[in-house]
Amino acid sequence: PSANVGRAPGPPDGGWGWAGVFGAFVSIGFAYAFPKGVAIFFKEIQGFFGTSYSEIAWVSSIMLATTYGAGPISSILVNRYGSRPVVIFGGLLCGIGMVSAAFCTSILQLYICVGFITGFGLALNLQPSVIIIGKYFLKRRPIANGLAMAGSPVMLCTLAPLNQFLFDNFGWRGSFLILGAILLNCCVAGALFRPIGAATALVKTQATEEGKDALKEEVTKDAMEMSNPTGVPMETKMEEEGGKDCCEKINKYLDFSLFKHRGFLIYLIGNVLMFLGFFAPIVFLAPYAKHIGIDEYSAAFLLSILAIVDMIARPTTGIIANSKWVRPRIQYFFSFAIAFNGACHLLCPLASGYTGLVIYSVFFGLAFGMVCAMLFETLMDLVGAARFTSAVGLVTIAECCTILLGPPIGGTLIDTFGDYKYMFIKCGAVMVLAGTFLFIMNYYNYRMLAKEEKERKAKEEDPKSVRTENEGRNNWNKETAQDGPELEPLREEQEGLKKEVNGT
Amino acid sequence: EKNITLDSATGIELSCRLDSKYFHLKNLQMTWKRGNETIEHINKTENSWGIQLKILDNSKLGSYSCTLKGEEISAIFHLQVPKIEGKEKPIVSYEGDTAVMICKSFGYTPIAWTWYRTNGSEQIAINDSLLADKYVINSVSANVTHLKILKLTREDDGVYWCEAAFELGKSKGKLKLKILSFMVPLKPFLAIVAEVVILVTIIFLYEMYSKKKCAEDEKEFDQVEQL
Repeated sequence: PSANVGRAPGPPDGGWGWAGVFGAFVSIGFAYAFPKGVAIFFKEIQGFFGTSYSEIAWVSSIMLATTYGAGPISSILVNRYGSRPVVIFGGLLCGIGMVSAAFCTSILQLYICVGFITGFGLALNLQPSVIIIGKYFLKRRPIANGLAMAGSPVMLCTLAPLNQFLFDNFGWRGSFLILGAILLNCCVAGALFRPIGAATALVKTQATEEGKDALKEEVTKDAMEMSNPTGVPMETKMEEEGGKDCCEKINKYLDFSLFKHRGFLIYLIGNVLMFLGFFAPIVFLAPYAKHIGIDEYSAAFLLSILAIVDMIARPTTGIIANSKWVRPRIQYFFSFAIAFNGACHLLCPLASGYTGLVIYSVFFGLAFGMVCAMLFETLMDLVGAARFTSAVGLVTIAECCTILLGPPIGGTLIDTFGDYKYMFIKCGAVMVLAGTFLFIMNYYNYRMLAKEEKERKAKEEDPKSVRTENEGRNNWNKETAQDGPELEPLREEQEGLKKEVNGT
Repeated sequence: EKNITLDSATGIELSCRLDSKYFHLKNLQMTWKRGNETIEHINKTENSWGIQLKILDNSKLGSYSCTLKGEEISAIFHLQVPKIEGKEKPIVSYEGDTAVMICKSFGYTPIAWTWYRTNGSEQIAINDSLLADKYVINSVSANVTHLKILKLTREDDGVYWCEAAFELGKSKGKLKLKILSFMVPLKPFLAIVAEVVILVTIIFLYEMYSKKKCAEDEKEFDQVEQL
């Protein structure tokens, strides 16, 4: 590819990328599974410090809130320094947090060490891992996403018995010490995130000759950022050339102009709604099983079934989402998965006895895995890999509120009515609503994109020459620039896709 | 066999009912026994034989059985004080740290709690007013008792008993305390840290090596182009 100076090379879609996927697998796994895995120690710590259960549960909540809430900070750091240093720093922070937690003498210190410090470290792990996949993959990105997200159930299944083993042998202090060391493995995952994009620096040198300072800044950031495939990365930064300097500066670190992006807004609203009903059923599945008379071990086994089905569902969904029939319509697939999830919850109260709950767990695991596998893939698809860094930060902080609200609202419903079925109905209804909303809005979005595609094609003549011509760039409007990169390489590769996009 | 839990003085009636398959037997006679002692005053109804008991103190507790004369069929009732659950798995703690041991009584409220420490084969009561800077006993509620042991040393390792006193007797729960030195978790910790450092070094070295190789290849390529 180095022979063609005018065309930047696309993402490798393989090779070292798979090592990056493995690193993301480990990182994402820790980020999602660790807050849940720590819950095993709570009973003992509660007795040790003489606090109530809800005070202990705050540790998990603070950790989860920090992991999601620190998303924008993570995005800013990745925009500035790239994925690798951020993940390594995050891993060190997690390790330090847990090791200092081993020496805590009060519940407040636990909140800080386990909650804030480790939570922040996990946040610095989660975002860059998701981002790096977008940088290494395009054609096979859904598979890569599915595989990486499979880290969460695998880690959970590993951490739960491991934590129990550590606790039995070392008590909670020793376990925290050893868990700190285990979390340092995130640094290993970070080391695998080899930065790519040195070759694209060739293309950038032409743009810097323009003399526009703002553009120069954008472009050098781009060179560090390892931009998206085709050679139109500059275009995505071009839209800011009309704006003020300070806005540009802020947008350089965290792209707030995303709030004008139609696809991003659709995703944001749909997802924020979905998360209200996403986690509550998992939290309450075991208590519900015990409530209808199932013994403790069988109830715990339901969660294991869920995790195992989840583990298989995620990469499988990735493969399906990558197929040429689904990839251009991936947003519909995502909406379907969410609605399917909601339907499962709505049908759950009808499940009677253990067999019914087992069937529910299987379908829930399937639906849960499908949604999670495509969670970030669909965002990348809408926003493009270049702006994904900022997008993911903004999305996670918005989701943070609903994620934290979901289980307590469910708990309140259960306490008020004394019956679990209202919680399931609420979750199911919310998710079906979210799925339908996303479906309709994405249909609208696809049509608007197709229309803009047509307009863009009418204006330009040769897509390749635009990179070396100044005038061509100025004509492009914001929308096409953002979404064009997504569709173009796919179109060039497969005729069928092209017809699909233009035909809707 | 049936277990009946009693925590305070009460009157109780035990009755054995005969299953219909034995109705064909003639001359049905049921005896009630406690150990070797036979109990008189059996209330007989159509198919059941019952006894009234007044349980006032510990001596009246035990196993009561009704046996069908001639046959080997019997039913046993165990009258006992509430059981206290200790912990099967040992509580792990560290030298210099504090350990908290908790005993709970489920459903029945004891009159008093006492803690014992096993020294060899003896059980020594723990007096928290005598050794106030070592042991702290407090009850969060009447059903729960906490024993806090401060400034742990190797000698504190062993078996502890929490005894609940009920009106009708006492009941014990067993707990084990295991004291470790801080070196014990430190070894796996250092092992894992070493593994992380080694892996990170290997990955970075491999990266530098492949970059060098790539640069060499490109140099060759450029030279070929110039020709």
